[in-house]
Amino acid sequence: MNTTNGKVLNRYHVIFLAQSIMIGTGILSLPQKLSSMGYTQTFMPLLFGVIASLTLFAMVWLCSKFPNDDLFRMNEILLGKWLGKFINILIIIQFIVFSAGIISNYMHLIQSTALQEQTITLPVLCFLLLLIYIVSGGIKSIARFCMMTFFITIGVIYFTRWAIEKGDPSHFLPLFNFTPNEFYEALKQGYFSILGYELILFYFPYIIDQKKAFRHSLIGIWISIFLCFITTAISVMYYSEWQLKNVEFSVLNLFKAGEFTFIERIDIIGITLWVLLILSSVTAYVWCAKRGVDTLLKKKKQNYQLYIIAFIIFIIIKMPFSREFQEKLFMASNYMGYLLVIWPVFLILIYIIRKKQVQV
Amino acid sequence: MKHKQLCIISFLILVLLAGCSKKEIKVPLEDVGMVDSMAFDYIDENQMRLTVAIPQYSPDAEKDTQTFSITTDLVSSGIVEIEKQSDKKIVFNQLRVVLVNEDFARKGNVRKIIQHLYRNAEVGNKVLIAVVKDNAEAILKGDYPDKPSINFYLNNLLEPSINTAFNPNTNIHDFMYSITNPVIDTVLPYVEKRGEKLEIKGVAIFKGNHMHELIKPEEALVIQALSGRKNLAPLHLDLNAGHGEEKVMIDLIESSVKKESNKNMESPKLTIFLKIKGTLSEYKGEREYQLFTVESISDLEKDVNKQLEQDIGGFLERLNKTEVDPAGLSEEFRMYHHGKWTTKKTRELIGKLDVNVRVETSIISTGTLK
Repeated sequence: MNTTNGKVLNRYHVIFLAQSIMIGTGILSLPQKLSSMGYTQTFMPLLFGVIASLTLFAMVWLCSKFPNDDLFRMNEILLGKWLGKFINILIIIQFIVFSAGIISNYMHLIQSTALQEQTITLPVLCFLLLLIYIVSGGIKSIARFCMMTFFITIGVIYFTRWAIEKGDPSHFLPLFNFTPNEFYEALKQGYFSILGYELILFYFPYIIDQKKAFRHSLIGIWISIFLCFITTAISVMYYSEWQLKNVEFSVLNLFKAGEFTFIERIDIIGITLWVLLILSSVTAYVWCAKRGVDTLLKKKKQNYQLYIIAFIIFIIIKMPFSREFQEKLFMASNYMGYLLVIWPVFLILIYIIRKKQVQV
Repeated sequence: MKHKQLCIISFLILVLLAGCSKKEIKVPLEDVGMVDSMAFDYIDENQMRLTVAIPQYSPDAEKDTQTFSITTDLVSSGIVEIEKQSDKKIVFNQLRVVLVNEDFARKGNVRKIIQHLYRNAEVGNKVLIAVVKDNAEAILKGDYPDKPSINFYLNNLLEPSINTAFNPNTNIHDFMYSITNPVIDTVLPYVEKRGEKLEIKGVAIFKGNHMHELIKPEEALVIQALSGRKNLAPLHLDLNAGHGEEKVMIDLIESSVKKESNKNMESPKLTIFLKIKGTLSEYKGEREYQLFTVESISDLEKDVNKQLEQDIGGFLERLNKTEVDPAGLSEEFRMYHHGKWTTKKTRELIGKLDVNVRVETSIISTGTLK
């Protein structure tokens, strides 16, 4: 089955797809996630960047062996039809739960800061409508949306200026002041924040210049890593260790340090702009989930799967279970995300073993 | 055709389902009472007296500020009580100033109430906090005939200005930052009511969670200079350097500070280099008619340096004896210390810290008269 009718993604699309999907809600609480390392967390994002680059290399290498197939097809080719399908279903579920997790996280944030007296049902519905609209435009529409998002939201960096002024650079010292346990904890908690680049496994077939896809994706990843690095660095300067640990959305509190005479709560501007970032990462995940469903059902050019996915997401967000269960579910989907990052390495091994049988 | 049907159906659904929606309780702006200042007074360990001031914008209101006081054990239950008395919904979006009285600062749990406000998303981070002598409630309820309202008055008084640059202008973030940070002890401005006027009398220094002592504005200025503030208040000095009694007033223009530690926890030594630049605005004493040449000015500079080194050194020694560190001097040691830093370490370190102060004054002008 030829899954690509046309290659549509140029290099800018590739850069900003990788970049924008990575910045979701993760970066908002990144300093808190890394707080087990205290002040030493500053350089963790750079380490994450290195790990991301290495795993990206494995992904692109694998994709380049199957230039016209996405991961769903690769699973079927390499693992056999039934095992492949089973894995695909798992991936689809993971994507749906993961998207629901991101949205729910953001809505929780909205509810605790901006709209305290309102239920979130209506905002979630509006959000999902927008989501359906963007996803039904296909991957190119998502890529364009990601570009727009980047240029609209990058301006909020300016709001951290007061925090830099007030911050104390001596917090960066001493370097490497952590125990292996703290390091492991931070790695485990923090790496979620930069997940998202692994979706290249799914949109790779649509890239025009596949030979340079690695380089372009890498640029996107490092833009995000750099933003994460700035965020953690400023937080470390501005907060005490207790605050790093206890302030849930520390980045919004950084905005709060702002001193405009005409705006009291700059953080509200931050939150509202953030919806674009959330949309750009969730749309990509939902698009991938929809593609997965397409390959499973072997049906094309129909949008009802998308509505069903959106509905499932809605149910997951509004489900009448305790918050604890929800948290656990989203956590589990996050850890599944880690599996997905290493999955290509596993597939590469199988590819090498079964090279002759699966040659395209 | 299909689209038309879809449109009609969704329109019908929207219209019909509108009846199912819950009536949302939204409070119109006129019915919102925006708390501008809060005051906490100490009663005993479990009880406190909470006072809130709400500005009234109606031109018919005779008094421009409405105040409510309540005795309560929790902040939020106090607010609920106040809402019962008030005709309006109480919100904190416009909160500007929080006052605690001295008793509260010394015995009560200031951290708990500030943390409560810090947690509240409605409250901005720029709410100023101050300690008040005697009764905080009386300050909010007091009459200030020459001021538009107590809220503006308090806020303007506590805001940074060059003449009160000794005032640490502690806001909620600063408070939480310093009280949770093991290397710094919290400082808060200390306000006293005198008749119809309020005055910042000095600075309250905390040790841990409780107020420890009150220091004078001149000393507080030293803390501000050492913690790196660039623009400082005018500096008044009494010199006694072989020229009889002299009085010098220097308008400080800029200051910069550099600290160097010997990185040794056992016998800690800290050298502080303080550079100040300023204008000599007034001088009274023997040398009054000699201060025209560069040499005489530089002589004066040297004397000022000596005097300042002595004053600052003495002040820091006094602080070190009581093991408080409002200027965050132990940060210089934490920077090089591997492992967890605790408040206990700060106390130990500051107790045996040997401080060496080097001041470099430069008087850049003596005004426009020759």
